[in-house]
Formats: sequence, C-alpha cells, structure tokens
Amino acid sequence: MLNYTLRRLLMVIPTLLILVVFAFYLMRLAPGGPFTSERPLPPAVMANVLERYGMDEPLHVQLWTYIRNILCCFDFGPSFAQKDRTVNDVIAQGFPVTLTYGFWSAVFVLLLGIPLGIVAALKHNGFWDYTMTGLAIFSQIFPNFVLAPILVLLFTLSWGLLPGGGWNGGQWQYVVMPAIALGTSYMASVARLTRGSMLEVLGSPYIRTARAKGLPERTVILRHALKPALLPTLTYMGPVFVYMITGSVFVDVFFSTGGIGQDFIDGAYSRDYSILLGLAILYAVLTFALTLMVDLLYAWIDPKVRAGLS
Amino acid sequence: MIGAAKRRLTSPAFAEDAAEEMVASRSFWADAGRRFLRNRMAVVSVGMLGLLILFALFGNLLARWTYEEIDWNLLGRIKEEGGPSLSNGHWFGVDELGRDLYARTVQGTRTSLMVGFVAGPVSVLLGATIGALAGYYGGRFDRTVLGAYTIWLAIPYIIFFVVWQAFFGRSLGQMILVIILVNWTAGLLIVRGQVMMLKNREFVDAARMLGMSDLQILARHLAPNILWVVVIYTSLVIPEVIMAESLVSFLGVGIQEPNTSLGALISAGAATMTFGTLWQLAFPAAVFVIAQVSLFYIGDGLRDALDPKER
Amino acid sequence: MLSVETLRIRFRTGDGLVHAVNDVSFRVGAGEKLAIVGESGSGKSQMALAVMGLLAKNAEAEGRVLWEGRDLLTLPPAEMNRIRAREIAIVFQDPMSSLNPYMRIERQLTEIVEQHEGLGRAAARARALEVMDAVRIPEARARLRAYPHELSGGMHQRIVIAMALMCRPKLILADEPTTALDVTVQAQIMQLLSEVQRDLGTSVVLITHDLGVVAGFCEEVIVLYGGRIMEQAATLPLFERPAHPYTRGLLRAVPNVEDPADELIAIPGSPPSQRAFPTRCPFAPRCVDAIESCRLTLPELTGGRACLRPVEELT
Repeated sequence: MLNYTLRRLLMVIPTLLILVVFAFYLMRLAPGGPFTSERPLPPAVMANVLERYGMDEPLHVQLWTYIRNILCCFDFGPSFAQKDRTVNDVIAQGFPVTLTYGFWSAVFVLLLGIPLGIVAALKHNGFWDYTMTGLAIFSQIFPNFVLAPILVLLFTLSWGLLPGGGWNGGQWQYVVMPAIALGTSYMASVARLTRGSMLEVLGSPYIRTARAKGLPERTVILRHALKPALLPTLTYMGPVFVYMITGSVFVDVFFSTGGIGQDFIDGAYSRDYSILLGLAILYAVLTFALTLMVDLLYAWIDPKVRAGLS
Repeated sequence: MIGAAKRRLTSPAFAEDAAEEMVASRSFWADAGRRFLRNRMAVVSVGMLGLLILFALFGNLLARWTYEEIDWNLLGRIKEEGGPSLSNGHWFGVDELGRDLYARTVQGTRTSLMVGFVAGPVSVLLGATIGALAGYYGGRFDRTVLGAYTIWLAIPYIIFFVVWQAFFGRSLGQMILVIILVNWTAGLLIVRGQVMMLKNREFVDAARMLGMSDLQILARHLAPNILWVVVIYTSLVIPEVIMAESLVSFLGVGIQEPNTSLGALISAGAATMTFGTLWQLAFPAAVFVIAQVSLFYIGDGLRDALDPKER
Repeated sequence: MLSVETLRIRFRTGDGLVHAVNDVSFRVGAGEKLAIVGESGSGKSQMALAVMGLLAKNAEAEGRVLWEGRDLLTLPPAEMNRIRAREIAIVFQDPMSSLNPYMRIERQLTEIVEQHEGLGRAAARARALEVMDAVRIPEARARLRAYPHELSGGMHQRIVIAMALMCRPKLILADEPTTALDVTVQAQIMQLLSEVQRDLGTSVVLITHDLGVVAGFCEEVIVLYGGRIMEQAATLPLFERPAHPYTRGLLRAVPNVEDPADELIAIPGSPPSQRAFPTRCPFAPRCVDAIESCRLTLPELTGGRACLRPVEELT
C-alpha cells in the first residue's frame, strides 16, 4: 500500500512538469503579454519592465528559473498584473475561500446523496425513489450555471434569506449557496449511483446469506450491504472532485466569493503568466491529491484491490 | 446520469456484451431503429430538437431586428419597456444594451448547436481513432496513449480551455478547435476496449489471411462493428460539449461579442436579473433547457435501442 | 418437526404468473435425511427459500410451512430471524458468491452466534474455530483472518457449511451443496455433510438435481417435476423399483458404473412452461407411457406416486 502510494506520488512529478512546460510555452507563444495595452509603453520603459520581471531572457532560461524557484524556495514568482503581490499571496488569500465552500459542498454531496440513494433503494419504487429520479433529471438539465441564478433569484431576490454573493469572512450565510450550486448535480449523480449499486447488492447471494443468518434487516444493510454498495460511489467521487474543482471556477466568479477562480479568470484576461501557471499547478495538485485519496480509500475498503496493490 | 452511462460503457462487462453483438448486419440497425421509434420520449425529443434546429436556421426570418442592432428607442427604459412585446417586434424583449433578444437567442442557439454538433462528433471520432489504433497495435503505442490519457484526465480541462480562449482569440472556429483538443479522450477507452476484443475474432484472422492490410481491416471489418458504440458515445458527448461551451461563455471567455451563445446569454441574463429584467434570463435558459432535455432523452433512447444489455 | 402442507409458490413476472411450486407436502422428522430431486426450474430451491422466509419480493407463497407447530409463512420477521440459522440453517448452492467478499471469514462466522446466543467476541471466536475444526478446515486460525477471495472453492463450501453449523441447528437445508465444485471435492463435501449429520443428529433436506448424490446419503426421496411431487419413496426401493415414468427416466440418465454397456437415455423434450397452474399431468408431454387421460387429468399423489397408470403397465 505504501509502495503504491509512493509510486502514485512519483507520477505527480512528470505530470506537473509536462503541465508546466506545456502551459508555459502555450502562453508565451501566444501573441500579446501582460504589458501590452491600448497605448503601447515607450520601448525604453518596456525594456525596463521586461528586465525587472526577467522576461528579457530566452524562454527556456525563464522556464528553468521558474522551476528552480519553486523547487528551492516554493516561490511561484510575482504577479504580473497585480502590483506588489506574489502568486503565493494571491493563493494564500483566495484558496482558503474556495477550499471552505468546496469542503462544505463535498459534505453536502455525500451527506445528502448517499442517504438519499440508500433510502430510494430500500423503498424501491416508493416516494423517495421517484423524488430522486426527478432530482436526477432536474440536475441533468440545470447545470450549476443555470441553477446558481435560480438560487439567487429565489433565496436573495424573492425571499431575502441569503446574500446573493460575497464572502464576508466565510459566515455561513455566504457559504450556503456556493456550496449548493457547486454540489447539486453531483449530489444527484451520487444518489442515483448509490441507489443503483445498493439495489444490485441487495439482490446478491451474499446478502441472502446474511438474511439466512437471522440478522435483523438493519444489521444486514449496515454491516453487509453498505460497504459494497458504496464502492461504485467511491470510484465516482474521484471524477466528481475533479469536476467540482472545475465548477469552483464558475462559483467563484458568479458569487464573487474572492476565491481563486476569480483570480484565474482575471489572470487569463490580463495575461498574468505567473498567476495562471501557479493556479494551474494548484488545480492539478488538488486533482491528484483528491483522486489519490479516493483510490486509497477504495483499496482500504475492498480487500481484493488492497491485495492487488501490495 | 451521463456519468453512469459512461461508466457502463467503459465497464468490462459491457465490452463483452458488445463484442458478442456482431452488428455489421443490416438488420441490427433496422431493429435498433424500430426499438428507438418505440421509445416515445426519444421520438418526441427528436421532434423538439428538430424544431430547435429549425429555430436556429430559420428563426431569423421572423426577426425584425438583427442580433447586433441596438434599439435606441428603448435605451434607458429597458426595465420598463424592454420586455417581450409584439408591438415593437422584440418577441423576447431586448438585452441590457437594447439589442433584440429574439435575434440574439436565435444566434446563440446557432452557436451552441454548431459547437455541439461539430465539436462533439469530431472529438469522439478523434478519440475513437486513437483508441482503435491503440487497441489494435497494443504494445508501446498503447502504453503511451494510456499514459497520456491518465495525465490528461488529471488536469481540470477548464485551465486549458480558459487559457486557450483568452490567449488565442475567441472566434467560433477557435472554440470548436479547443473543445476538440480538450476532448480528445472522448470515446478513447471504450473503442480501444472494443477493438482489443474484436481483433482476436475469427473474422479478423480470416481477413488477415486474405492479405488485407491493418488499415483495411480496421476500416472494413472493425469500424462497422464499433460504429454503434461510437453513436451512443457521441450522443452523450454532444450535450456535454454544449454544456462546456456555455460554462466557458458564462465565465466570459467564450464567443466574442457581438456574436453570442446560449451560455453567454444566460450569463448576461443572470447578471441583470437583479434589475427585474427577468426575460433576459428566462428565454435563453428555456432554450438551453429544451436542448439539454431533448438531447438527454435522445441519448437515452439510442442507448436503449443499441446497447445489447438494455434490451 | 418440519411439515410442509400444500405449499404453492407463484411469481409475478413481466409476462404474468409463473407457478413454481404446486401443492407440495412433505414432512421431515428429527434426525431424518430427505432428498428433493428435480431438474433445474422444478421449484426445488424455491421451496427451501420459502421455508427460510427468503423468497424474492415478487413471490407469493400459499399453504403452510409448520415448524414445531408454528407456521413460518405467517411468522413476523423478528420471530423468523430467531429461527433462521439457530433452528433451521441453509447451505446455498453457490459457495463462491454466498460469502460476503468484503468481510473477513471470522466476522461472517462469529456474527451468527453473537446474534443468536449473545456470545462475546472471544467465545464466538472459539466456537468458530471449533466448528471449522468439525468441517475439517486446516489452519483454521489463519483462515479466520482471510477474506473469501483468498480461499478455494472447496474451502468456500466448508466455510458455508460451518456457517450453517454455528448454532447447531435442528435442520439444515442443503441446496445443491456440491454443484459448483470439482468432482473430488464433491465427494468430500458429501462425506462431510453425512458425518456432521451423524455426529450432531441434525435433520437434513438435501436439494439436488443429481440422483447419484442422493443414493448414499438420504433415507427418503421426493422427486419433483413441474413444481409437483411425482414420486415419494424410501431411497432403496426408489432406486430398485422406480414407480413413476419420470423417475425411471431420471435413473436411465444416470451413468451406471457397474455396467458401462448400459445405455444412457435422455428424457426427450424440455421442462414444462409454468404459466398456468397444472390441470393435467405436467410430465405427460415427455412421458413414454402417457395415454389420453394423462393429458386431461391431474394425478394425485397416492401411495407415493402421482401417476394415472399402474406400475405394472409402465415400460
């Protein structure tokens, strides 16, 4: 298991390297730059600015400097567009925000999706089952960027219950809608998936064995059925986390939370190379960490997989 | 739901079911057609999508304004008089700049459908081709493709998408190109699995003994047998692509103004709804929802009709 | 002890009702060994599930299944749970999938006695080791820590039998306990079952499609066809003088070791559709001795056989 984890961690290095090199050249080879504007700077000033940011050197030297600074001092460089701020500053300010509602959103997805799926499976063809099917179709049709305006329309404009945006230090009122907007469609997928696998497990021979042992139904479900029923859901959580990271960009922009998504979009507009690279690395690391976590969790639950790893 | 369908498509059990199905025969498609037509929701959805395509193609004939013209009469009084109206010819009202929302919705539908129906199939074809080659030749090529696939999946596509759009311009062509580049993995795994299953069958051996080249075998013998898988997968990818385009447009790095897409219109509508101009959100959102619903049920119907396990 | 009276089991399916078991009655006394023999689809497994109260949701059971005077078909779930495994245990036909792949063997064994006898972990573990010893599982201590996928098929079946024995039940229903296993392992398992039965005095209902398995094991045999009892007799007479055309057909289809020249004859045709409750002899369409009245009337079980024609007239 440890071996496997190490191997996976080693995979991160080439991936990140490829990402950095690829993104670096892609951005640099594109026309324009952070200091191009409507009124071009005088050549002398421009040269000065470029020298200050080390951009007068050949591209591969710049790339090497960039990577070296990250490796030696965890320094992702200064922002090009935001004066006197480093990439580290920007991330330190925005990331906790995104992480906070992202965490609550994941809690929402799991704590609502899984029980809903289980209840729907146990009351197969009952009220909750139909409710859930409806919810699943609903979330298919209303992606987060349609759902979010509707939420604001209802909770802010019509009923005045929740603020329609902002962060305010992460007070709960400001976290609710971003978390729901980010999570709803995945919550529905998780519920549907859990329902399907629960139904399958409940029909399996080993559940019949468990019932034949005279265990109460509660024990049968909690001890015997729950774990295998959750495995497909768990596999799905890897991609879900990746999608949620993607979705967080939208949520940051729409709800003006001040999270890193906004910095990313702003960075794209202003050609803020270092911000873009830094955030790209952050997103990729996050993706890696979450999928690795899910895979390890899977191995921990499924003895067959665990045996395969060691 | 799309997630669940995709998982089913990539499962080993499915690969076996599918490989059992020798479908180069004509009757397979006829049977599938009949099964599809029996699915009422799917047929209705085809009708709805057809109407939507007609709307995108010919909707402009009913418009009294073009999508970039500003109705100066309404400027400054949009909240009061900019709503849907039969008298001034703005069937869906006007947007926050006084442009005709009907014409803009037609234009946005056009863009979104175009992106979906061009970028979707092309990226599946690209992924399918790579997957077929990887599955057929195996070995180092296969390992390289799989490695690239794994790495690619580890990068949230939005990074690439946003950077590309912001740096290389935001024309429709660029949009389609970047979607194809982002989605090159679509359908790769499943086609690879199918080809790996099929290439050991007798009919492939027979073709090889007849002296057919690898390419001929792939094109004439394997392609017809995996076509239906590609069809199902494409039906899943098209709504996803439309969704992705809309999301990126919503973020403001989509199609360049004055051209527009459904996502951009929804975004603009959402931004102004605080001012009480709800129609600016409602019409584009409704069209978007209709498109997604019908594409969803068509995909569902295709899956029922084509997937051997669902019958 | 167990008395099944005119048991009927029906399934509601997409294409209407399926009559799986029709008016079956039999009794099993203490320490007795009964075999229920039939082709697949003859409803024999469903009878075992009905006794355990484990029929699928779309099944309906009518009649009575009396266990020490109480009707198991109408027993509330909580009381039924006290009978399962503690008084009546079942060994399912597919040992590989009958064990929970996500739980250690230990837990799957100990939970039974923890549930029924309130034993603590240590005592339950001791019992598990004892029972595993009884079913000849070597290195029982190590096996306790194992997951099912780490064990062989024969070992699976031993574990499943051990499960059934955990509470020393009065009756064991063994549903095709050997079909999934290699021939050599089959013999070992049957040997094991009969020893356990002898040592503990447990009653056994052996459900099988294989008359060969029955011969050395059971005292009494019920032959089932189309969900009805065709013949019911003590084992020896049944093998020596089968009194029903179907039983005769079955015996002809069993290879005779002593006389290899003996021709094997398959029964022509296939099992009946069970869409309707039978109104005529279900075996008539495949029966070599069928006469006109066989196709019109339903024979009752009299004198251990359900056949309209006298024994002497059979071919």
